[in-house]
Amino acid sequence: MLEGKQDGHVFKLPKVILLAKNITNVELEKAKAAGFADTVIMKPMRASMAAACLQQVLGIGKKRQAGKDMLNGSPVLQGLLCGKKILVVDDNMAHQRVFAGALKKFGAAVECRESGKAALKLLQLPCCFYACFMDIQMPEMDGFEATHPIRMMESKANEQMNGGMDEDSGRKGWMDVSKPFEEENLYQAVAKFFKSTRSNCFT
Amino acid sequence: MERNPMRRQLAIMRQSLFDQGHVDEQFVQLEELQDDANPNFVEEVVTLYYRDSARIILNIEQALERKPFDFRKLDAYMHQFKGSSSSIGAKKVKAESTLFREYCKSGNGEGCMRSFHQLKKEYATLRKKLGAYFQLARQAGPVETASRPK
Repeated sequence: MLEGKQDGHVFKLPKVILLAKNITNVELEKAKAAGFADTVIMKPMRASMAAACLQQVLGIGKKRQAGKDMLNGSPVLQGLLCGKKILVVDDNMAHQRVFAGALKKFGAAVECRESGKAALKLLQLPCCFYACFMDIQMPEMDGFEATHPIRMMESKANEQMNGGMDEDSGRKGWMDVSKPFEEENLYQAVAKFFKSTRSNCFT
Repeated sequence: MERNPMRRQLAIMRQSLFDQGHVDEQFVQLEELQDDANPNFVEEVVTLYYRDSARIILNIEQALERKPFDFRKLDAYMHQFKGSSSSIGAKKVKAESTLFREYCKSGNGEGCMRSFHQLKKEYATLRKKLGAYFQLARQAGPVETASRPK
């Protein structure tokens, strides 16, 4: 989570994680150019993958465990996600349900929305969501389009913080996950990614 | 080893879903999310899937009635459908979806019709099998302990 503190003002913006069944080069370039989301993960997002991803998001450098173990719950992960609000955005109800189920296993308070538009209403500042998982490919407003306003908010917040332009805001972590993807590769990519974004966080 | 005969029957049914290639590993992921707090999780997700996907199937059917075929649209619908099917681990249905998409990409209308026909068959078969499975699961009652095969 990105947090800024200055003169008692706190801007909390959720990490945005995009989910894609497959991503064409065109889409990837588009996403990189815009620097919208924090990361992209390939679907289907398995429950065990959600756990792996979250562990990395939270910077817990644990060794990868078998899917079963992860779900039965790293107590650390359980503790960290407990009560945290996470937003899942996917126009596919079954997928939404599976993903929310996985996150709830770790004690997260999950809200689901079916569209980018609906999600945006919840992602206005001040924002109480810890993280947001969003499907890239949705009708009306896809994941890219939905994260744009979030990044605009972030960039505005950064400007206020730094009293000037924030060069980084447009270029923050785009994580490139290529297909076919192996859980191990994703795990490493996510770990690497979040290590680097942490250094961009300001407190 | 299940002592309860219903549970045994259930285990056999479940195994055959995998052995016959109807479902894949993703189905196991769903089962792992089922617990005391969510005792019917798998059935609920599958129900959502059939509800969602019925709409997509209808869209495809309607699109196939319009000549000439709009392959781009057909492919887009099937892409959605395939994603949906992945989320419950519907293996055979997913395979047919892939085939359909290949026919779309090569502009093969005949191929599309054939594979869509096959897809609907697999889709219906899966629904029947899962329906029977969930019905038995409800009759058999809740599991006492987590049932990963040892």
